[in-house]
Amino acid sequence: MSRNLQRLKSWEGVLLLILVATIILNSTLAPSYLRVGNWINLFELSIEKIIVALAMTFIIINAEIDLSVASTMGLTAGVLAWLHMQGAPFPLAVIAALLMGVIAGAFNGFWIAYAGLPSLVVTLATMIMYRGGARILLEDRSIGEFPAWFSHLGQQPMVGPLPFALILFFALTILAIVVLHYSGFGRYVYVIGNNRDVAEYSGVKVRRVKMILFIVSGTAAALAGVLFAARLGAVRGDLANGFELDIITMVLLGGVSIFGGRGSMGGVLLSILIVLNLRNGMSLLNLTGHLQSGVIGVLLILSVLIPNMAAGVQGWLHRRRQAKIVHET
Amino acid sequence: MKSLRSRIRPEQLRELVLFLLIILLLLFFSTQIDNYLNARFFNRVTTSAAIIIVVAAGQTLVILTRNIDLSVGSIVGFTAYFVGHQLALNNGMDPWVAVLMAIGVGALMGGLNGLLVAYGGVPAIIVTLGTLAIYRTLLVEYSNAQTVLTSTLPEWLLNLPRAEIFSVGKMDFRLLVGLALLVIVIFQLLLMYSAYGRRLYAIGSNPDAAKIAGFASRRIVFTAFILCGALSGLAGFMFLARFGNITVVAGLGIELESVAAAVVGGVNIFGGSGTMIGAMLGAFLINILEQSLIRWFAISEFWRDFLLGFLILLAVASDTLIMNRLRSTWERRPLEKMDNETDSGSGPNRPTPSKGGDHVA
Amino acid sequence: MTTGQTPVMEIRHVFKRFDATQALDDVSLILYPGEVHALIGENGAGKSTLIKIMTGIHRPDQGELLLDDEPIEVHNSQEAQGYGIAAIYQEPMVFPDLNVAENIFISHRTFGPIVRWKQMYREAERILTQLDVKLDVRQPARGLTLAAQQAVEIAKAISLQVRVLIMDEPTASLSAHEVRQLFNIVDALKEQGVAILFIGHRLEEVFEIGDRITVLRDGKWISSTPRAQVTADAIIRDMVGRKVEDFFVKSQTESGERLLSVHGLGKEGVFQDINFDIHQGEVLGFAGLVGSRRTDVGLALFGIEQADEGQIIFDGQERKIGSPQQALDLGIAYMSEDRRKLGLVMPMSITTNISLPTLKNYLSSLGLIKHKDEMATAEHFREELTIRSPSVEVEVEKLSGGNQQKVMLSKWLNANPKLLILDEPTRGIDVGAKADVHHLVNDLAAQGIAIILISSDLPEVLAMSDRVLVMREGRQMGVFTRDEATQEVVMTAAMGQNHAKNQTVVETRA
Repeated sequence: MSRNLQRLKSWEGVLLLILVATIILNSTLAPSYLRVGNWINLFELSIEKIIVALAMTFIIINAEIDLSVASTMGLTAGVLAWLHMQGAPFPLAVIAALLMGVIAGAFNGFWIAYAGLPSLVVTLATMIMYRGGARILLEDRSIGEFPAWFSHLGQQPMVGPLPFALILFFALTILAIVVLHYSGFGRYVYVIGNNRDVAEYSGVKVRRVKMILFIVSGTAAALAGVLFAARLGAVRGDLANGFELDIITMVLLGGVSIFGGRGSMGGVLLSILIVLNLRNGMSLLNLTGHLQSGVIGVLLILSVLIPNMAAGVQGWLHRRRQAKIVHET
Repeated sequence: MKSLRSRIRPEQLRELVLFLLIILLLLFFSTQIDNYLNARFFNRVTTSAAIIIVVAAGQTLVILTRNIDLSVGSIVGFTAYFVGHQLALNNGMDPWVAVLMAIGVGALMGGLNGLLVAYGGVPAIIVTLGTLAIYRTLLVEYSNAQTVLTSTLPEWLLNLPRAEIFSVGKMDFRLLVGLALLVIVIFQLLLMYSAYGRRLYAIGSNPDAAKIAGFASRRIVFTAFILCGALSGLAGFMFLARFGNITVVAGLGIELESVAAAVVGGVNIFGGSGTMIGAMLGAFLINILEQSLIRWFAISEFWRDFLLGFLILLAVASDTLIMNRLRSTWERRPLEKMDNETDSGSGPNRPTPSKGGDHVA
Repeated sequence: MTTGQTPVMEIRHVFKRFDATQALDDVSLILYPGEVHALIGENGAGKSTLIKIMTGIHRPDQGELLLDDEPIEVHNSQEAQGYGIAAIYQEPMVFPDLNVAENIFISHRTFGPIVRWKQMYREAERILTQLDVKLDVRQPARGLTLAAQQAVEIAKAISLQVRVLIMDEPTASLSAHEVRQLFNIVDALKEQGVAILFIGHRLEEVFEIGDRITVLRDGKWISSTPRAQVTADAIIRDMVGRKVEDFFVKSQTESGERLLSVHGLGKEGVFQDINFDIHQGEVLGFAGLVGSRRTDVGLALFGIEQADEGQIIFDGQERKIGSPQQALDLGIAYMSEDRRKLGLVMPMSITTNISLPTLKNYLSSLGLIKHKDEMATAEHFREELTIRSPSVEVEVEKLSGGNQQKVMLSKWLNANPKLLILDEPTRGIDVGAKADVHHLVNDLAAQGIAIILISSDLPEVLAMSDRVLVMREGRQMGVFTRDEATQEVVMTAAMGQNHAKNQTVVETRA
């Protein structure tokens, strides 16, 4: 077994331990915690973020980043609300919103895959642009009064106790696992993330893969934006503001390397569970949402710092061993 | 005119373009908005740009080293609240103490960023995305969601924003604006004349070479973050003086505006080139756009963010796609000349004819 | 000439081993002040290892370095600089956004805290004048030619009071004119008493600049001779050493139909006017030295760097090859010389690497990977090519160089190419693996695959090829049949050396 795989395995082991610890801690804090209803609630509260996190996992494994996802959520929800306000048929508005997500993703993808600009800068700029787009459409209004079926979709259980968004999430998760770990496309995502040049020298269509990834990311964000609108029942220009931080944290905490090529859906799912449970636990402790973001911020930094330092210590030990060997011979 | 070619480079050309762009923008809006170019407009733009200019100066130091600091908005917010709170508790505090306190707190926060980036090996984008949330959380926790109120602040502070150094007609040259310009001048000199400043450029220009060169590149990156934090702290103080009422959302979004100012001002997002003057012009451009949109009825003021994002993308795309081409054609000339010189065997100290001169005109 | 003086630096009986290869095997060298010591040898002769030991990047297993007769230990390049030892590489490490003067002084303690520009410019101009270099010290380093960048690095070394300057193939990417300029600089350095170790690959240059010429071969010291006493023939003999008979020789095969014809292929500033044919079952060797641009021709045929003039006729039809996918579809495969950067995805498994170019063949109708098929293929190649590994799921970074090379070969063989371009297929692998590769090439040719064999290992090219195309600095020097191609003939063509005159020849460019 490879050392990297072992490290990854052990990272997932660490995640599992943290998860168990949070669950135990939470269940001692509140007896209601372990009920199915609470768990559904726990997922529901962050359902939009975790849907986007699935797409973000692909992007980061591909050695790119998409900072614009939260703004894309805002923009697409904005398109939905604006069209609704203009009196467009609602299903058409939903389709237009999803289409907006495709366009937003393709716009990112164009600059990154074909113009060769770094994704960090491009999506930083479009993060501001797309948010601006939402503001242009909605100004400082809050738009609601969506059709009843739409609000139902966001707020009522659909199958048994499960709401639509959660079912969708499960379906997308299975799809994401299959595509990332079992499909040819997923293989290309890893190969490009590890070494773009080797991929190119092996006839892989690198640009096309990147373009598709950003379109998928935009579409996932659009889906999340529409779902968020359904759940909230109203849309404002600042919808989902700052969500990119949580989403990226979930992915990195899951053991996906910021430099690409490494990570798994399993790790990301574990870290999603941890983040959700932590937030839940902190709410149980009556900690504010802001404090929760702070804790997530600390986690984000630690998720990169700790593996770095571990590698540093490992390297140092290795060098010392080498030096000793050389000395002895 | 000696070696004008080597002094005027495409980067500077861009500052010129930026300056022209500002003029054009002003001319355009003056045809659109009645009574556009008045003293009040001047005062408003300069005052609102002052804070961004100071933060953008810090941001520029960091970006020059091929890093980024997204936590500056939270640092501005925290220091504004912190110092405001201290002043509310102790109205008799010496103004200098208050300013130094703001700078110190900011430097501390920047120091943590720098530590993690330079010595922890964590990418700046990750670190500062994290501390963006962490410092904001500190503010929320520290403030207990209370607000610093204007009424609790000392008199001198409230008068500070309107304090002027001199005025021409109704156009005031205000103290805070003067402070911002002073920052730009000091740091421009730092970049031009200090070994530290030149090494900032070196690190961003070729990080690999910087690692094996004989200077402490990690420490330089670390101090760049400290300086960026300190300047954000100073901006926090200015923010406090300007607005008086400080809530938990103070300074929100300044990180993006500062990055925008720097990048639009010609600071290369990949490090290695850019000036304080450019960042300042970038800040002015953005603020003029912002203040004009408020008064322009053709489109809503809500276009601001969209245009801001678009400007950043434009600046980066033009830098990568156009400037590279421009640079290479620009620089091909002296090389040809070098060859000719050797062939003609002329002395080494012969003054170089300024072939670049025609480009400047 | 300053021999007879006390040496500045001495290398005594240095040994260095990397895994399977003995990179340096009892090498000694003496550097005198004001003398240019030229070092020459084929790729893999141990030149770069020697430099790395002198600059502290590697430590010798045995042997010592002496500076002024005192033994020294060098642990990194900064320490080396402290001893006055500096190296200049083919690709200089400059700061493109800083100007020439700054690049010279940026590392100096005296650079700050306040930069005194005028004084710095004066000082920089003084040093450059000393070197007889005309450069505007205020010009940014970005866009300087490589030659000018090297001059800046040399100036930097001088400003740091260098005593031993190592120049690692500094002329590899320079034009003839720029080489002249560089040699003027070297002369200026000699006058200042700097000891120079000049690693070269063009014989005429070495003859021109070197006061003493040392030949390394296979990590061993072969000869050190004052220039006055050497001849080109002797040097070539020393460099080549081994005899073709030591090699496995390709069996004679009937070559089949003409597969590829290239007419007047060129790419501006890289290579020009390349013409050759290759038939099925034929091995066409590409010989030449560093910078001869053989790899670029290979990349043009594989669609990575498109040629901008000339004709490629493949399978009887004229083709424009615009991308690797297109080349693969035609049946052209290219195996890169750079295993780590361009050949294999190191942290991924043998299976993943082998199936990468042909992944389409392993997908179900839903686009899912048929992992069993893929493993079966990898397993097949593991047996066929005797890849030593416990399983095909092992990451390639765990394998030895030779086994990695076999994985890379498998990856391309699996694409069933009609034309296989092998770029340095045996570089840096041990003798056993080398022999395996040679046998494989022989078998492939027998199966009717056309092979272009790019190799710097001259005996290998001669032993394995039906015909040999020799390149030099982007130009085709000739195509030799198996009977014509002796080591001397090929080496002479590759070095652009006119056999009749073996004194210093100043190159003139067409």
